[in-house]
Amino acid sequence: MTEIMMNSLNILAVGILLASLMAMTTPRMGQLIRIFTLQSLMLAGMAALVGYQTGSEHLYIIASIIVLLKVFIIPRFLNYSIERIKVKRELEPLLGIPGSLLLSAAIVVLAYFVTEPVISLTEVITRNCLAISLAVTLIGLLLMITRRKAMTEVIGLLMMENGLFLAVISTSHGMPLIVEMGIFFDVLVAVIIMGMFAFRINETFETSDTSILKRLRY
Amino acid sequence: MDYSLFIISTLQFLALLVSAPAVVGLIRLLKARAQGRRGASLLQPYRDLRKLWRKDEQVSEDASWLFRVAPLISAASVILTTSMLPVLHVTVLGPGSDMILAIYILMLSRAMLVLSSLEGGSVFGGMGGSRDSMISVLIEPALLLSIFSLAALAGSTELSSTAQFISQGGYLIIGPTLILAAASFCITTLAENARLPFDNPATHLELTMVHEAMVLEYSGRSLALMEYSSWLKLTVFITILVNGFLPWGISSALDPLSLALASLAFIFKLILALGLIALLESQMAKMRLFRLPNLLTTSFTLALLALMAFYIL
Repeated sequence: MTEIMMNSLNILAVGILLASLMAMTTPRMGQLIRIFTLQSLMLAGMAALVGYQTGSEHLYIIASIIVLLKVFIIPRFLNYSIERIKVKRELEPLLGIPGSLLLSAAIVVLAYFVTEPVISLTEVITRNCLAISLAVTLIGLLLMITRRKAMTEVIGLLMMENGLFLAVISTSHGMPLIVEMGIFFDVLVAVIIMGMFAFRINETFETSDTSILKRLRY
Repeated sequence: MDYSLFIISTLQFLALLVSAPAVVGLIRLLKARAQGRRGASLLQPYRDLRKLWRKDEQVSEDASWLFRVAPLISAASVILTTSMLPVLHVTVLGPGSDMILAIYILMLSRAMLVLSSLEGGSVFGGMGGSRDSMISVLIEPALLLSIFSLAALAGSTELSSTAQFISQGGYLIIGPTLILAAASFCITTLAENARLPFDNPATHLELTMVHEAMVLEYSGRSLALMEYSSWLKLTVFITILVNGFLPWGISSALDPLSLALASLAFIFKLILALGLIALLESQMAKMRLFRLPNLLTTSFTLALLALMAFYIL
């Protein structure tokens, strides 16, 4: 029973990592949002499975909040924003797709080596996911660095947050419910503010390319 | 006992050899049906081969002996690889079933194809050859890494042993490593056999062709051999895919019942894989040549992750 559980947890964890990698390969906004939705869905599944395995019921609540927030509300809001500022595609990324994929693979290896001493110390069922959560966080950061449109950077930030949440689930089976609620609320507010901000950037500069923001005058 | 092993391995080897044109015919038929056409019969590739076999051969004045020898070496190396595959039973006729060896024997066939494409002295040939070498350079690491992750999982690079290990390993073996490696191998199968997102097998005399450009100068029996070896190569790759990564149903006993079940399972998996290829090819457009590295790096990353997942998880 535990083995099936562990196997499905591993498959979900690798699926989350794979979603991050797929986000590196696509320049299309709509596809990026769909990938983020899928990743959040897998994260919710993982939270529910860990909740079932460890018997901590508040993880069910958290899983349902993830579904509500990151699968329905935030993707809808993102879609609405890209509709409004009319970005469909990313500009040419600063690093080509093969290069960024190879870099992400290197990040996965690095994350494994960094977390290995920690992994060997713990006994929790989800300990393997720590390396993956670090990798997902760093790949989210890489996505933010290599892309130039404001909306892609929002998605990169959300993916980083998914990685951090994965780390929370895998090391300590979730934080106290009230802290989690606070974080979710923060994320929601942050996304709304960033969406507004992207809209303002677009209105002021007539583009949402963030690389021109460093100039004083457009 | 040894005698019956020999018979069954010979039979499965011959069955693969004979069914290679039907495999391609089935892809074409399914593709035609998916696109709302009636399509040619399953036997059409056999008729094509018979027609080509009876025709005269034209050889360019500039071509050397290599041009004549290349189809023979190419076909021989693919046939040798075919003899190394377990199909219904885990025994093989050929020299073991080591996958690294099999892949590099297949590379010999590809090297011959590229060299002979330069022989005719036509511009198309060299262009196709250079494109094909670019694709094959990008495929090779992904292909080997997916084989390595299979080998790490099952503890052997022999396809017979991995098939036996995975099919008897129960449901727990279906983990991230196997899924990722299979996904990576699917992409490389399409690339290695010049199927759709990489090369359109239905084009002839177009600027985008890769495989067709290389065999453009061939005619008659040499063309028949070239075509046959490319079809057989597709069959070989699909067999590695279904027997290496989803080997459930392969038999390790010799009684008639389990062999019958194994052949049913194999035919079912084969038709499933062909149907998927046909569906994919009717949905997808050919990718631009300079975007191919993106897809091939994706395949490489999948295989690398498969290997990493084996050690991390």
